[in-house]
Amino acid sequence: MHRSLKAAGSVLNKPIFTSLAVGATVGAIGLAAFSGGAAASAQPATNPQAPIVYKAPPSNLAAEGNSIFQENCASCHGSQAEGSARGPNLQGLGAATIDFWVSTGRMPLADPTVQAIQKPSRFNRQQTLALDSYVASLAPGGVAIPDVNLPSADLARGAALFSTNCAACHTITGAGDALASNVYAPSLKPVDATQIAEAIRTGPANMPRFGPGTLTNQQVADIVSYVEYLHHPNDAGGIALGHVGPVTEGFIGIFVGLGVLMLAGFWIGGRAK
Amino acid sequence: MSQTTDWLDERLGVAKGGRKLVNKIFPDHWSFMLGEIALYSFIVLLFTGVFLTLFFVPSSHEIIYHGSYAPLRGQKVSEAYASTLNISFNVRAGLVMRQMHHWAANVFIAAIVVHMLRIFFTGAFRKPREMNWVVGVLLMILAIVNGFLGYSLPDDLISGTGIRIAFSIVLSVPVVGSYLAFLLFGGNFPGDSIIPRFYTIHVLLVPGIIIGLLAAHLGMMVRQKHTQFPGKGKTNRNVVGIAAWPAYAFQAGGFFFLTAGVLAALGGLVQINPIWLYGQYIPYKVSYAVQPDWYMGWLDGALRLMPSWETVMFGHMIPTVFFPAVLLPGVTFTILAMWPFIERKWTKDDSIHNLLERPRDNPKRTALGAAVLSFYVVLFFASSTDVLANSFNTSLNFVLWSFRILVFVVPPIVWYFTFHLCKETSGVYNAGKRKRALVINLSASGEYSTVETEPYFEKEEEEIVELPEEVAFHSGVTEHKETANELMFATSHSSANMKTSPTDDIGPLRSGGTGIFRIPRNVPGGGATGMGSRKRRPGKSEE
Repeated sequence: MHRSLKAAGSVLNKPIFTSLAVGATVGAIGLAAFSGGAAASAQPATNPQAPIVYKAPPSNLAAEGNSIFQENCASCHGSQAEGSARGPNLQGLGAATIDFWVSTGRMPLADPTVQAIQKPSRFNRQQTLALDSYVASLAPGGVAIPDVNLPSADLARGAALFSTNCAACHTITGAGDALASNVYAPSLKPVDATQIAEAIRTGPANMPRFGPGTLTNQQVADIVSYVEYLHHPNDAGGIALGHVGPVTEGFIGIFVGLGVLMLAGFWIGGRAK
Repeated sequence: MSQTTDWLDERLGVAKGGRKLVNKIFPDHWSFMLGEIALYSFIVLLFTGVFLTLFFVPSSHEIIYHGSYAPLRGQKVSEAYASTLNISFNVRAGLVMRQMHHWAANVFIAAIVVHMLRIFFTGAFRKPREMNWVVGVLLMILAIVNGFLGYSLPDDLISGTGIRIAFSIVLSVPVVGSYLAFLLFGGNFPGDSIIPRFYTIHVLLVPGIIIGLLAAHLGMMVRQKHTQFPGKGKTNRNVVGIAAWPAYAFQAGGFFFLTAGVLAALGGLVQINPIWLYGQYIPYKVSYAVQPDWYMGWLDGALRLMPSWETVMFGHMIPTVFFPAVLLPGVTFTILAMWPFIERKWTKDDSIHNLLERPRDNPKRTALGAAVLSFYVVLFFASSTDVLANSFNTSLNFVLWSFRILVFVVPPIVWYFTFHLCKETSGVYNAGKRKRALVINLSASGEYSTVETEPYFEKEEEEIVELPEEVAFHSGVTEHKETANELMFATSHSSANMKTSPTDDIGPLRSGGTGIFRIPRNVPGGGATGMGSRKRRPGKSEE
């Protein structure tokens, strides 16, 4: 065989022509899979009903609540919820506080020295309401369980209020973040409308309490509707990278973007002999 | 084709330069393609950027948003932010272009960094390429600056916080800080001239300088020819590799399409910077978990790690941010740009280096580079202290203090291990080469012995014949053009089939377009020869 032909063949064997095709295909897939920016759906018509109705838990459940409390809570909070060295006094805190801590699974608590974590609740809805009812029956005071009328809420006002009041700890996307010394702002993804309103009105743990003088019921409902929106926000543009901003984007850019291209270069280019 | 080129040649004389360009030899090694990733990402940046300028409104003027993104309707937003939302939701292919632009910027700077690491660790910056190294460092600084400016343009909550930090950093410069900040930002923060100014700098000033420096960067590379790794037939006086046309052109063209393809895939499939979720930047609002794009991460990390010490010098307090945010990058980029000169002072090496060093063969430089790199990598990770603490359910203070310790502990450890690893591997026979198979023989007396097999590629290897210039170089003869041409003729007519014509007044033709070529290098001051000569084993072509 003629040498120059052989030499030509050895270069053409390299995947330079394949790379042209692969490059075009990869690009085409990227462009084709792109669905374009779908506009968010229009806001629902406003409802004349009150934005939030506070409902006391059914009082006939107090007896059931008493027995659940004695089994699960009294060892720390005392048999009459009067508090002990291990747990605070719950009398007069109101149904909403108890409902939030129990329904988000934060109570009962394994270790009172660290921030309570959200976990699957130990009680079903009726048992939770029974506990709420029992503790609320011990002393007057506190907030009843809020029922948010979401159709009356204004999403855009909620977005503005959220970025002013909540984003500084929970982050603007509601992903949550570490604050300081083992304290953190939890993610807002797994909470429902009632729990959000309860948290705003009662201020659990390190979170400030937003009373009616700070936020009106309408404003609370607006914020709740925006947090509900953040559970499934408009994620135009493809795979959302955890909504934590440039940290994940940087890793994808370096390891997927540059990484793939370096491997491609390694594939096309020569190696050490 | 030939008619067109003749027409052009008769009028512009393109043949001479054109042939030189077409005959340029590129050493064929994958690590030489890292800079190409940066170049092609930059081309993607230019194209997508031009598209974005058609729809972006660089104005801080506040309007009431009435666009298609419901959660922001009725809010006061700047025209810059509203037009970015418009690009994302209403302009056809606007979001994919925006995301490609952003991903391309991230990959662009990442490619610049790995390209620079390759140059550094192989010693490619040594004489005669010091100037090109300085130009490369300037390009990297400009790329980082322009990345930051572009990231700030949408005027969203996250990037606005970044501008706020940048303003404070400029303010922290002793004596001139406040004047400098007001000059750059057109008054106190936030003002209304930041966005239009950043826009002009981002789309006009910096890209213009980048294109100019890029031309100088590539021009110097063509003029000085590529460096190459040491190997069979590769000397300080030649370049071995593939020709620009057609082998390299197709390789580079394919690689351009791959780069554009990967960036288009990222832009279409992976979300980046969803500014509609962040909202308009308003100075009294702030979001937690705010990081800059990755290339600013080391500066953000340094800011986070710096303790709040108050330093008083000459009766004036130096703000704490000055040290990590002004002094650190200033010292970093100065030392980086001056490195070829610093190293030369240290090694007292004044000779010309066209052959690269394997990193293991220079343990001192490799260990130092790895240690310094690890310092910046720790700073880079420190920029995500909060996200790391949250992801690993640990205390933010613990993470912060860990990084404060790691930033001093990691570099010496990296230095020690790299140095000794280099020492070890440089002494190992055939380190870095492909492993050869061993044939185990059992002799009649029951004795075992091993024999290394021949490497398969060496059978195909062409015989190495010294080029005339190389011979002249070795014998210390001062070359001149006549000798070079005579000798060139003597070697190149060894093949009967090669129609080489050294008497052509614009230099000899090369017979084939593909294959591995060795060409002499133009020596500074010695005059360029630029002639190709294909080496082959004598007698092989008669088969």
